[in-house]
Amino acid sequence: METDWSKVMEVFTTGIIGVFVVMILLQILTQLSTRVIDFVENLGKGEGSSPEPKSPTAPSKD
Amino acid sequence: MPELLAPIAGNVWKVLVAVGDKVELDDELIILEALKMETPIYCDDGGTVSEVRVKEGDSVNEGDVLVVID
Amino acid sequence: MLDILKDLIYSSGAVSLTGGNLVMWLVSFVLLYLAIKKQYEPLLLLPIAFGILIVNLPLTFLMEPEHGLVWFFYHYGIELDIIPPLIFLGLGAMIDFGPLIANPKTLLLGAGAQAGLYVTFFAAVLFGFDLQEAASIAIIGGADGPTTIFLTSKLAPHLLGATAVSAYAYMALVPIIQPPMMKLLTTEHERKIVMGKLRPVSKLQRICFPIVTAMAIMLMVPTAAPLISMLMLGNLFKESGVVERLSKAASNELMNIVTIFLGLSVGATMTAGTFLSPKVLFIFFLGLFAFIVSTGAGLIMAKVMNLFLKDKINPLIGAAGVSAVPMAARCVHKVGSEANRRNYLLMHAMGPNVAGVIGTVVAAAILLKNLG
Repeated sequence: METDWSKVMEVFTTGIIGVFVVMILLQILTQLSTRVIDFVENLGKGEGSSPEPKSPTAPSKD
Repeated sequence: MPELLAPIAGNVWKVLVAVGDKVELDDELIILEALKMETPIYCDDGGTVSEVRVKEGDSVNEGDVLVVID
Repeated sequence: MLDILKDLIYSSGAVSLTGGNLVMWLVSFVLLYLAIKKQYEPLLLLPIAFGILIVNLPLTFLMEPEHGLVWFFYHYGIELDIIPPLIFLGLGAMIDFGPLIANPKTLLLGAGAQAGLYVTFFAAVLFGFDLQEAASIAIIGGADGPTTIFLTSKLAPHLLGATAVSAYAYMALVPIIQPPMMKLLTTEHERKIVMGKLRPVSKLQRICFPIVTAMAIMLMVPTAAPLISMLMLGNLFKESGVVERLSKAASNELMNIVTIFLGLSVGATMTAGTFLSPKVLFIFFLGLFAFIVSTGAGLIMAKVMNLFLKDKINPLIGAAGVSAVPMAARCVHKVGSEANRRNYLLMHAMGPNVAGVIGTVVAAAILLKNLG
């Protein structure tokens, strides 16, 4: 049985890259939603008492 | 008056000290159980136990006061 | 009279016994011993061991297609991929994603450990397994039983017994396998790093996480859908707080019920004919290799992250990136507290630990997409 090494390399590289891409995106999404929820919950708590400019900073654009 | 805080959430498995006990640095004061694992909590500095805030079986959150030491 | 006796003997299974059957009995007895006496994953090893025993009693035809009792369990439960997602439903209802939400960086650690899985894939191909088989063996390094069964049943069903048993067995052996690797790859100083308190996670965040994650993963890797959808549904049951009955049913009754059929069916795939070949036995070796490499990959990933982080993480938690919830996290906690008795890493390690579950599913889904 011949091993198709190009397929092996393909599975190997797309696998590693794929997992990292998915997990990094997930990380960004989680951070983003955490920020949004923090912001919303702070708004609900007491407007004006501690405004704390929580404007989205670095990783907001994507 | 130093307080011994719970470093992790869990249930109090064993309380090894009582009010009035003299304790020293690194004594085991409380054993917490979290995720079916026993975690001993050590004394941060010596003194006399003035208050034990938990009893065996209590569930505690991270940061809760377990024991007060004078 | 004599004829009846003769007939009884010939129709009995005993005369059809092969040497292979006897060896499989032995395997079964060893697993029973490990399950009962040593309590290594008894919930699974016990039914698996009994499954092995009963299919190696000749002429019972329990695994006869379209005919045998256990075959129906196997066919409907595992071949049609029903049981692993149901286990994930229960798992989701038990998992606390809080530590992960509090520290999303740990998702990267969950990815890091999966890199080891691909190294094993490479190694298995080198040793002459075909690609589908190699992928099924590699996934053992993800240390997640249901995912291993899910992938193997699709790619290499003839290896199901071996990959499932080695995944569960090594998971139980985490406290023995992981610490040497942890100590090898980290310095005493690194192990002493104390991590700060985790930020509190609000209920809304806990509710949003399974929804957002399920959508994101299924949009990116649709092949992950059966496992991820059930995992996140279970978690939503738990975190929503409004369907306690469903959450309890998923994590207790349903989970227990399907575990019985899962274990029995997996054990029943191990007849002497399919199991006793050097190739299959080699899987146990490669599975161990997978476990060790994945642990190492997680540790290295944590060290790499430390190069960029202001607040250093304790690299030990990278080892929890293999799933094995919560054994790996416990193990990290233990090794960490050996280095510094005031180091309580348990909750910090739960982050990468549950991230590892997600990571393993994603890795399996990508393998399935490429090789299925």
